Amino acid sequence: MTAYILRRILYLVPTFFGATFLAFLIIQLAPGDYLTQLELDPKVTPETIARLRAQFGLDRPIHEQYLLWMHNLLHLNLGYSFAYQAPVLDIVWPRVVNSMAIVVPSTLLLFLVAIPVGIYGALRQYSLGDRVISFLAYIGLAIPNFFLALIFMYLILQVYFRTGVMVFPVSGMTSSGFEQFDPWKKILDIAWHAVIPIIVVTTSDIAGFSRVMRGQMLEVLSQDYIRTARAKGLAERVVVYKHALRNAVIPFVANIGGILPGLISGAGLVEVVMAWPGITPLLLDSLQQQDLYMVAGFLTIGLVLLMVGNLLSDLLLTWVDPRIRYE
Amino acid sequence: MRRFLAVLVGALVLGGVASAQPFVWPQKWTVAKPSEVKRGGTLRAAVISDYRTFNPFITAEAGNVPDLISGGRGLVMRDPTTGEWIPYMAESWTISPNKLEITFKIRKGMKWSDGKPITADDWITTWRIHTDKAVGSNSYDSFFIDGKPITLKKIDDYTIRFIYPKTDAEAFAVASFTPWPDHIFGPVYQKDGAEGIKKMWTLNEKPENVVSGGPWLIESYRPGERLVLKRNPAFGEWNKDEAGNPLPYLDRYEIKIVKDTNAQLAEFLAGNIDVMAPATVDHISQIRQAIQQGRLDATIKLNASPVASSQFMVFNWNKASDPFKQSLFRSDKFRRAMSHIVNRQAVIDIVYGGLGTPMYSSVYPVLTQWVNPKVPKYEYNLQQAAKLLAELGFTKKDKEGYLVDSKGRRLEFNLSTNAGNVQREQIAKLIVDEAKKVGVKVNFTAIDFNTLVGQLLSSGPDRPFDAIIIGLTGGGLDWPFGSNVVPCKGNLHMWNKSGQCLDPRETQLDALYSRGRTELDFKKRVEIGYRMQEIEAQLLPVIYIAGPNYHPAWNNRLGGEHPDAIISSIWGQRELELTFIKK
Repeated sequence: MTAYILRRILYLVPTFFGATFLAFLIIQLAPGDYLTQLELDPKVTPETIARLRAQFGLDRPIHEQYLLWMHNLLHLNLGYSFAYQAPVLDIVWPRVVNSMAIVVPSTLLLFLVAIPVGIYGALRQYSLGDRVISFLAYIGLAIPNFFLALIFMYLILQVYFRTGVMVFPVSGMTSSGFEQFDPWKKILDIAWHAVIPIIVVTTSDIAGFSRVMRGQMLEVLSQDYIRTARAKGLAERVVVYKHALRNAVIPFVANIGGILPGLISGAGLVEVVMAWPGITPLLLDSLQQQDLYMVAGFLTIGLVLLMVGNLLSDLLLTWVDPRIRYE
Repeated sequence: MRRFLAVLVGALVLGGVASAQPFVWPQKWTVAKPSEVKRGGTLRAAVISDYRTFNPFITAEAGNVPDLISGGRGLVMRDPTTGEWIPYMAESWTISPNKLEITFKIRKGMKWSDGKPITADDWITTWRIHTDKAVGSNSYDSFFIDGKPITLKKIDDYTIRFIYPKTDAEAFAVASFTPWPDHIFGPVYQKDGAEGIKKMWTLNEKPENVVSGGPWLIESYRPGERLVLKRNPAFGEWNKDEAGNPLPYLDRYEIKIVKDTNAQLAEFLAGNIDVMAPATVDHISQIRQAIQQGRLDATIKLNASPVASSQFMVFNWNKASDPFKQSLFRSDKFRRAMSHIVNRQAVIDIVYGGLGTPMYSSVYPVLTQWVNPKVPKYEYNLQQAAKLLAELGFTKKDKEGYLVDSKGRRLEFNLSTNAGNVQREQIAKLIVDEAKKVGVKVNFTAIDFNTLVGQLLSSGPDRPFDAIIIGLTGGGLDWPFGSNVVPCKGNLHMWNKSGQCLDPRETQLDALYSRGRTELDFKKRVEIGYRMQEIEAQLLPVIYIAGPNYHPAWNNRLGGEHPDAIISSIWGQRELELTFIKK
């Protein structure tokens, strides 16, 4: 097993270089660069732009830029953001933490709700409950997150106009005067602000996740060995939760590798719409401005987490699926 | 005895005032009287993009933190009621007879927020750092005229001289740059140079270490979320209202970062932010509705003024690979015809929901003093367009209904703008439709912004586009013509980037630009500006279309806004220093 893990880690090295180079190349393929915006400013001379370009190293060939960046990366320096004139990690890290305030609870909520809902749907296929859940799931899948967020904001405002009560905040992560709150009030304040974004992010995920769970369960429940188990008189509880569920969750375990980078990649457009200071608004800005090292640096963090996550899920699979042995 | 004490105290106070020489903010800049003013409270605003640094030398975005805390002010500032330069951190100035040197007497008694006096050294150090190439300051270019440096000289602690390489209309604008503390930046600059400066005052800097000479200090900053500023008490020692009260009145100024404008609107409607300038018809009508239904106690000034930006269509004069199109695009008759097919009213109605202003010249309509009212406008007139095109030899139409000349060449060109700019895309589609009515085929494509800029700024005899719709901002009250745009060698001389003037009128404009830029008499400068607009109208190098208007809104808990006459996209809705919370 140890040999296997070591081998896997060794394989990660070429993957890492290949993937980062590809990411770097693709970012560079986009026309223009960080300074293009400045070129339409009537006050800035072309000489100044050329000088800045040289200062940022943007006038050098791509492979040279990549090697320089890789050199820094190997010294655990993710690079320097043009827009912030500061190390990428300093800028990115607080945003990742903010995003996690939504993503972690919503991931937990997802598992807590979606797995039982999926199992219920599979065990009582075509019952009234199953149909209601299916119906809700399709609605959840059909409404894009950002739009659901807008609907919630509209509803909050309408309630406020009619009653004068702000049930939940319209947007943001903290209230005015947050800095003066005592620690408990700070936590409560963030929690209060996080409720709507968490609901929005979780609803659509639950819809998809529970559908897949239901399908998996149905497939496993129709297998011969389940019939055998039932025939030999095992309790239904044992059949379902010990034999069926363990096999039904295998695809999810295989996907755990994707959760790890998912934790840092933010909650998507919901963050933009609801003014949540997470990673998505920052990354969108960086992409738009072609803040090269910001985007490349963030992709690298995601890449490393994805590789670690995949390794973890492969190891977990040996635990869940007795057919898999790495030796 | 008591009386004697009162006199003594009075004398001491007067003595203090005399040495502090406060700047008195004129009553006419606000609708409020000092007697109705209340002190304290928090002004809440929202901005779209995040702050990137506290460092004044590397900041690049508009509305950045250094501008906020300093109020963006320097030796001189403009009086919004007249547009004239008035002494601010300077108490007076003298201009040398050859008009190449301005000597400013610096106001005494001004202090940085850490208690150190503000003196000539602060200006000298700030200028040195801004003009160090290795720092990469955005203000670098403003300290040069035609590539020659403007220099500063310290005469004594409270006297400073600006020496210009030639007379310059924007001399005072240069002198209005914001000083930063020498005692903070000077030692670092001397020891570690530009690299040392670049590492200072990042977002990780403790707010209490950021020293300000302006109205605000940083209280806290939460990245991507909220910047909270608090009043700088040192500022109030030399900034007073007419009743002698220290400014600003507010305790705090809180700015939320809300990237989505719909969320900003929601916050304004909920009363969570106090000021907003809605840009779309939908947002405006929601605010008006909320006010009318009594759900929101706020004021909105519709069509307060046009915004200071332009939208235009530019034809490429350098198309060596296609002589037919090149001669067409270089013909002023053709361009005039194209101006006649631009239905500016339809653009305003459809693109800006009726809330916009037509444009006919390079001077933004909001710069009213500069707009020459007698300049000919080639307004929407399809008959006139058809007539001009016929004069160019396009009399017959082909099977598809498009105009062709005697050699059977079809009148057709490609038009592009940056994808994602919905308003420009709509303008382009309107132009396609109107052009079709007179028989001109316009092929519209929306392309990536950076590709578009690359095409527009490419140079040489053969450039890769026909026509582009784009816009510019910037250009000031002193001299509204762009130093990069008008001169034939200018980087933004977008229609002709061959590197030389091709039309005698371009040469004329080039010469007039240099004359106007060096003319110090405002009236004479305006005359030159008028003349330039006349030539521009004949030449029509670019076809101006229309722009949106400025519609400021604010919650009625705020007082101290500008009188209606000066609310505009140039002066804004209020001076923050004179703003107060009513309830």
